[in-house]
Amino acid sequence: MARMKFLSDAERCIECNGCVTACKQEHEIPWGVNRRRVVTLNDGVPGEKSISVACMHCSDAPCMAVCPVDCFYKTSEGVVLHDKDLCIGCGYCFYACPFGAPQFPQDGAFGLRGKMDKCTFCAGGPEIDHSPAEFRKYGRNRLAEGKLPACAEMCSTKALLGGDADVIADIYRNRVLKRGKGSEIWGWGTAYGKPAKQPGAKS
Amino acid sequence: MPGERVFMRGVACLCALQFMLAAPALAGAADGDSKEQAQRQATQPLNNAPVWRDVRGGDVNRYQTTQVRGVETNVLVQSEGEIWRQIRNGPITVYGGWLLIAICAIIAGIYYGKGAIKLHEKPSGRMVERFNSFERIAHWTMGISFCVLGVTGLIILFGRYLVIPVLGYTVFSWLAILSKNVHNFVAPVFVVSLLVFIVIYVKDNLPEKGDLAWLAKGWRMFAGEHMPSGRFNAGEKVWFWLGVVALCLVVSATGLILLFPNFEQGRLLMQQANVIHAIAGVLVIGFSLGHIYMGTIGVEGAYENMRIGYTDEAWAREHHEYWYNEVMAGKGVAGGSAPSTAKAVSVKEGWKL
Repeated sequence: MARMKFLSDAERCIECNGCVTACKQEHEIPWGVNRRRVVTLNDGVPGEKSISVACMHCSDAPCMAVCPVDCFYKTSEGVVLHDKDLCIGCGYCFYACPFGAPQFPQDGAFGLRGKMDKCTFCAGGPEIDHSPAEFRKYGRNRLAEGKLPACAEMCSTKALLGGDADVIADIYRNRVLKRGKGSEIWGWGTAYGKPAKQPGAKS
Repeated sequence: MPGERVFMRGVACLCALQFMLAAPALAGAADGDSKEQAQRQATQPLNNAPVWRDVRGGDVNRYQTTQVRGVETNVLVQSEGEIWRQIRNGPITVYGGWLLIAICAIIAGIYYGKGAIKLHEKPSGRMVERFNSFERIAHWTMGISFCVLGVTGLIILFGRYLVIPVLGYTVFSWLAILSKNVHNFVAPVFVVSLLVFIVIYVKDNLPEKGDLAWLAKGWRMFAGEHMPSGRFNAGEKVWFWLGVVALCLVVSATGLILLFPNFEQGRLLMQQANVIHAIAGVLVIGFSLGHIYMGTIGVEGAYENMRIGYTDEAWAREHHEYWYNEVMAGKGVAGGSAPSTAKAVSVKEGWKL
């Protein structure tokens, strides 16, 4: 099985927010929840660069490690998913995540957190593939349809790549060689630098 | 293999690039950072550490922006979460858990080894008021809410390791949701009752003359020998100042930070609050186990004091001699009223003892 990863090429991103919009539209995400966002460095000064960021589906996912109800699991493709039926909305995954991926729809007064929502790599959730319950809780399951994540598919400059890690790493390597700069694969060290936890294992 | 050759060529070119490439891939954010980055490039080509440090501090960098609104959405990487994970999943869970188990074992050892501390004299049948109803309401509001918070907090911290293997994921999730919400809604009750409790109990917990002597020899009560003390002995005072005042105030303050995420506090603050909350919480729970033991099965007659507010004259003389003497001298000390058998009768009828 392929190991799925995201790769954001800071040399190519033009901050169009197409990935953010594609994600929201594809999964019909409620107001106030942003599974993906584009962050611009050096905004308005020389050397401006933009990077699209969402859940990176880490090898040793911190969210998975700190969850009090152990609601996270990892698919055989390395995608980190969670079970919203188990989630208690404590916010610990948000504390632990390096990328600010976990989102909490407000559920009541005083900022009471609802069930956590995050990028699923367009792989749905624990429900039956393409079921209405899966769509309602996690959005569309494009991987089960044989498609790649909507954000990466939508990217007009192909700055955002999502898919088999070996394939996208090859694409990126070729780009770096051709343009002769921009060799940082942003976030990969943080997300994939540690040895993987057993895929699919409930630890 | 052509693929392999391409890969090897890529590696070779990347190595070459490291030496040729002078310009950083990402220029520094603010001017100071740009300069630092330029210097870094001169000494260590391709080392972009200054840029990546900046990426982690987006909240203080006005040149780092995003369209998405929310807390710290312009931060690309926050590495503090990893430290928080190591502390919480490591020492707090491991040492905290064993500490509580050890305290339970020590208490069980005392109870089954030495037994409860019994009253030596026969009860006189004459009752002295020890806690008035306001003091008892304050104590029990705080005590009951403390127990609820303690149990629900322990479920959230240790449930994954102790309860999931027994009850399974679905039932534990239900229990954890209940725990989280009960913890959140009982917390304000605890905070208010804690403040009231401290105010009305502080006077009799101030240090007194006999306290050091008590601390030196107080442990002998397990051997049946009592040191004289005021209304509260030095052990109770230590519990008041360390457990109730220090630890409970720390737990309350950090808990309030975690309770209201709508004030847009950052993740670092909440991680720090969570670590302090958990450490202080485990310590005060361990402390409270000792207090609960001494207040219920550990000392004969202690529970009735706080339950009905009156204590037998013999108990008062044996456990709190200075206080008893002041009561008998009619000094109008807290609690204290003239001993009477009428009280004992009415109390016994009232509470159906």
